[in-house]
Amino acid sequence: MALTSPQFVLFIVAVVLIFHLSASLIYRRCVLTVANALFLASFVTSAMQLAPLLAFLVVGFLASRTARPDRRWLNAIWIAAIVVLFAWLKKYSFIAVLPPLPFAYLGIGLSYILFRMLQLVIDRSTEAAGEAMSPQRFFDYTCNFLCFISGPIERSGDFIANQEALARPIDEERAYRAIARMILGYIKVMVVSAIANYIFAHASDSLFAGLPSASRITLSGHYMLAVVSYTAYLYFNFAGYMDIVIGIGWLLGQDLPENFDHPFLARNLFEFWARWHMTLSSWFKTYLFNPLLTAMASRVTSAKAMPYFGVLAFFVTFFVMGVWHGSTVVFVIYGLVMGAGVSINKVWQMALTDRLGKKRYRKLGESFAYAALARGLTSAFFAIAVTALWVDFAQMSAIAARLGALGMALALLVLTLAGTLIFPFTEWLGARLVVAKVRLEPWLKGAIGRQIGLGVEVLLVLAVTSFFHKAPEFVYKAF
Amino acid sequence: MRVIVKQLVYLLASVVGVYLVILAIVLVAFPDEDSDGPMNSARAPSTYFVTEPKYVVLNRRSLATDRPRVIFVGASNTVVGFRQRQVAALLPGVEVDNLGVGGANVTEIAQVIDLALEAEPKAARADDTFVISIWYGEFAQDRVRWYTPDRHPGDTDINIEQYRYALYHRTKDGPALSLPIEDLRFEIAALRPYLLLDELSRRATAGLRSLLFRDKGNRTDAERDSATLSEAEKARDLAYWQSQIQLQGEVSKEQFDVLHAAIGRILASGGKVVLVDLPIPKWHSSRSPFYESYLKRRDALLAELKGTPGFRFVDMGEQDNDLDFSDEVHPKPTIAPRWASTIASALRGQLKVTTEARSDEPVRP
Repeated sequence: MALTSPQFVLFIVAVVLIFHLSASLIYRRCVLTVANALFLASFVTSAMQLAPLLAFLVVGFLASRTARPDRRWLNAIWIAAIVVLFAWLKKYSFIAVLPPLPFAYLGIGLSYILFRMLQLVIDRSTEAAGEAMSPQRFFDYTCNFLCFISGPIERSGDFIANQEALARPIDEERAYRAIARMILGYIKVMVVSAIANYIFAHASDSLFAGLPSASRITLSGHYMLAVVSYTAYLYFNFAGYMDIVIGIGWLLGQDLPENFDHPFLARNLFEFWARWHMTLSSWFKTYLFNPLLTAMASRVTSAKAMPYFGVLAFFVTFFVMGVWHGSTVVFVIYGLVMGAGVSINKVWQMALTDRLGKKRYRKLGESFAYAALARGLTSAFFAIAVTALWVDFAQMSAIAARLGALGMALALLVLTLAGTLIFPFTEWLGARLVVAKVRLEPWLKGAIGRQIGLGVEVLLVLAVTSFFHKAPEFVYKAF
Repeated sequence: MRVIVKQLVYLLASVVGVYLVILAIVLVAFPDEDSDGPMNSARAPSTYFVTEPKYVVLNRRSLATDRPRVIFVGASNTVVGFRQRQVAALLPGVEVDNLGVGGANVTEIAQVIDLALEAEPKAARADDTFVISIWYGEFAQDRVRWYTPDRHPGDTDINIEQYRYALYHRTKDGPALSLPIEDLRFEIAALRPYLLLDELSRRATAGLRSLLFRDKGNRTDAERDSATLSEAEKARDLAYWQSQIQLQGEVSKEQFDVLHAAIGRILASGGKVVLVDLPIPKWHSSRSPFYESYLKRRDALLAELKGTPGFRFVDMGEQDNDLDFSDEVHPKPTIAPRWASTIASALRGQLKVTTEARSDEPVRP
């Protein structure tokens, strides 16, 4: 069931109304369990297609129940089993030694179930988690239909803490805010990302068609347009999806974590990843970066080596994050590029701090020109790095061969300069819009005014949807 | 529960209320154009439908009359070759409609035929003559033509317009009308704000799309008349049609079956069919790996239809002088009157009974 389909909207209306028929906590939990199961079932046409995912869940459940701090080897075996099973089901090329299952099965959601299951097992093995989950609670946690396709990755502690809140009554303000957030999400997905996707489809078509014969200047132009439009598509599609599920969560008594915080305001790649897909970055920080750094630090005690361990840990973390996105060689390249990017960024920070001292470096970072340039470079680097998400290896090689190192560097430079100039302008424009909104607030805040606002937004979504042949897919479901 | 229902009702009321206000403003500020005359796909860009498929699907209200008519269906060479006004001037006493759609394969042409039949009163169908123009490029497989990432698998451009505003809904047998066809004109009126917005956005972005992407826009008649093809362009065009058909030297048999079935539906409804084999430049037919297969399958179809009452075949294949074409398929505008004359002569015999019987009907310009 696609989030942009009328079936999904009807499904949500039905679930929300049934959920609110009773305030009983047990009743509401049962409604959510059934909704999760129905959502899962909507992706398959036979029970067999669900079997691998269910087997994966069973392994995770057993692991979460038996993991304990005093069973180090068992814990390690469970974690290895979950990761290998995941890689096998996701058909990662490096595990191709195992024959694939001889039938089609549901692969959507596996990546995010992996994170939740690993987190449960690791937390249980380090005493971070309390009681083991019941089968129903485990299913609701790992297969919550709101987070099933692509997060946000809710921590098990937050999930458990949120359980009691399921029974709280909803007031008019929360209902309005929830629906307004959902509609905002649909605007991002079905208006902004759809337009960006339209531009991207044509720009990439022109790029690939021109590869054999077009001039390097023309190719660079099409490449940059494709890069920018794809990045816009990716961001608005994903951020809109999050707005939709967070809004629905509010209607269903759930407070899901935020996943985006204006990533294009970031002035370096670390800040960028603290603002983009925040729950994923936070997960990797907790369960990969920190343990890795701790492990290295525990083996070598030299204080001078610590910053370089940091660089190495960043490289490994971002490389793994990149490889997690897909099972082909382009994602390995993506991981290497992201890893190299953050490593260089870290070395640059260390070098500047050494040269200028902490105080002057901080002052430099706060200067308008440096901040604007850093923001432009960060966004441009990310946009070029995510090329891996829309090309295969042959296309990537062809683009690299035709543009050459000079062409790619030129693209990075032009996009950096464009970002340097455009982001401050959009920030200025945003501030003006906020001022305008404040002025209109007395009118917009009225009950009728804000309902009319929602009505206009819904009509905008319907209008732009009618422009395109089909609503854009949720892009992150592929990962 | 009450809070949720209340919010949903407010939202629904707000959407409907705002839309009604916008609709009223649009209907007053932008009164409807006269769309009751003959249909002419060539006019699509100058109407608020903008594209041919949209024009054909949404502008069918003029077909809902019992006037005898000749309906041209085919691809873009039907639109530019059989110019509606030129043909109509040669066929007084009947209405001439041109429902050609650029880029159509036979599946899409058959859909246009069904749309025309659907829009007409049953009694009027016996007075119809469908002119179905064919050439080998229309026999591209659906699998290649209509299974692209930007559309639901298999949807033709006509299907897209049928589903775009939910005038039709999907069923396992294909698109089905959501409301009776008699209500189409009211549905179109209710959709005017969306049609206007679509038109505005298309016109506003046309220049930008042409600049940034590979869309090169339509050529003027003067440009078409003066066009000549280089050898590189000919090679490019041959490669294009190879990519469209993707069969080894064969055109799709399945598409000939679709054509046969569509002819059968017209004849079964009481109408007549004139199947026209349109010419392409000599250089093109002689170099295309598909042309021979096309002629073979065409002749097999004609053999099956031989002697069928109401069916006639017109072969224009000999008008294949390279200089008469502005590209690999389309005749130059200066050649269109000759095409009109050829088809009008052929139709006069076919239409004799009908035009005599309806001689009291006013002649439309």
